[in-house]
Amino acid sequence: MKIEILGPGCTRCKETFRVVRHVVEQAGLDANVVKDESIERMMALGLMSSPGVAVDGKVVVSGRIPKADEVRELLGIA
Amino acid sequence: MPSRESLRFVLAALMIAAAVALFTQLQAIAGFVAFRLFGLARGSRPGAAVEFFVFETPKVLLLLTGVVFVVGVLRSYFTPERARRLLAGRREGAGNVLAAMFGVATPFCSCSAVPLFIGFVTAGVPLGVTFSFLISAPMVNEVALVLLFGMFGWKVAAIYLATGLGVAIIAGWTLGRLRLERHVEAWVWDIQSRPAAEASKRWADRIVDGRAAVREIVGKVWPYVVAGIAVGASIHGYVPTNFMASIMGRDAWWSVPLAVLAGIPLYANAAGIIPVVQALLGKGAALGTVLAFMMSVIALSLPEMVILRKVLRPRLLVAFVGIVAAGILCVGWLFNAIL
Repeated sequence: MKIEILGPGCTRCKETFRVVRHVVEQAGLDANVVKDESIERMMALGLMSSPGVAVDGKVVVSGRIPKADEVRELLGIA
Repeated sequence: MPSRESLRFVLAALMIAAAVALFTQLQAIAGFVAFRLFGLARGSRPGAAVEFFVFETPKVLLLLTGVVFVVGVLRSYFTPERARRLLAGRREGAGNVLAAMFGVATPFCSCSAVPLFIGFVTAGVPLGVTFSFLISAPMVNEVALVLLFGMFGWKVAAIYLATGLGVAIIAGWTLGRLRLERHVEAWVWDIQSRPAAEASKRWADRIVDGRAAVREIVGKVWPYVVAGIAVGASIHGYVPTNFMASIMGRDAWWSVPLAVLAGIPLYANAAGIIPVVQALLGKGAALGTVLAFMMSVIALSLPEMVILRKVLRPRLLVAFVGIVAAGILCVGWLFNAIL
């Protein structure tokens, strides 16, 4: 599974990255969490508000910092 | 067995009822705290200041929480992605009006200005229409409107809303007329953007959005609001009226351009600027001058210009700043003339 955190490097994006990485580590999930700050990637995904989270190329969160519980649900962690 | 959802619903209803009850009794509570609890004399300076603070703080915070929640729920309908789809290929004029109005309801942070700009123009939203959105989104937002309403009444809030939209529409339209497309950085046009698949949302999701907005926005701005009311309270009690009248009063025509210029290097959100607005108005500054200052601080900020320079060539950036500043200037003069 590939999880991308998107946004041009603002504090909200960093916070989102922290939340997602924490959830993934805690659950011991085999996922590749990357932070992509490029505009090109955001546009290719059709995302216009940061921060955003995409799982396997599909945008699941846009324009806000998700809560840990929400990330667990999105990633299908019970 | 009552589900967690319905329990939450009951809890929310109780909280709203408590808030409304508190709201109706605020005047009495403020009087009680100031004159009974603190034993200050009615009509005295500290008495007036404490009463003002105890009355205004819960009022504005309750109002802010309520409005941010409602707007948070509404915003789940007004995503930038949806705005783009609606505005793509739209003609100028009607497009500018629509974009400015969408800007009010759509969440915006200056860190998203560039992706938003690129997303809009590459999807075929006309440049001027994009600018209308970019001007209105930070300038006319719910936090600014609630604070203005809570502290200065509905007339000032309505004036701000109407003139803010006016500046966004007219400045965007003018920029569109100037045909400055070639002054957008060339790499922008090469970017492939694709429309996002929009997830359909249930009501429960929208409620979650509203609560997230309250947590994020109210959690961030409440210290400014309290500080602003404290400043307002001390002015209310202590500063002689008409103190600022000679410098920022309506007779000093040059104070409006000065206010706009002073606002450009300053960077603050609506919550941060309201204390200053409160102080200036309280000391007798003219409403037009203060509105111009506030709009300039929020809409024309140096950091945002630096961000926008990535996509706009210098000439377009200067045209953008110049036209928006001219619009704000007109608002200031107009209100000083008619009020």
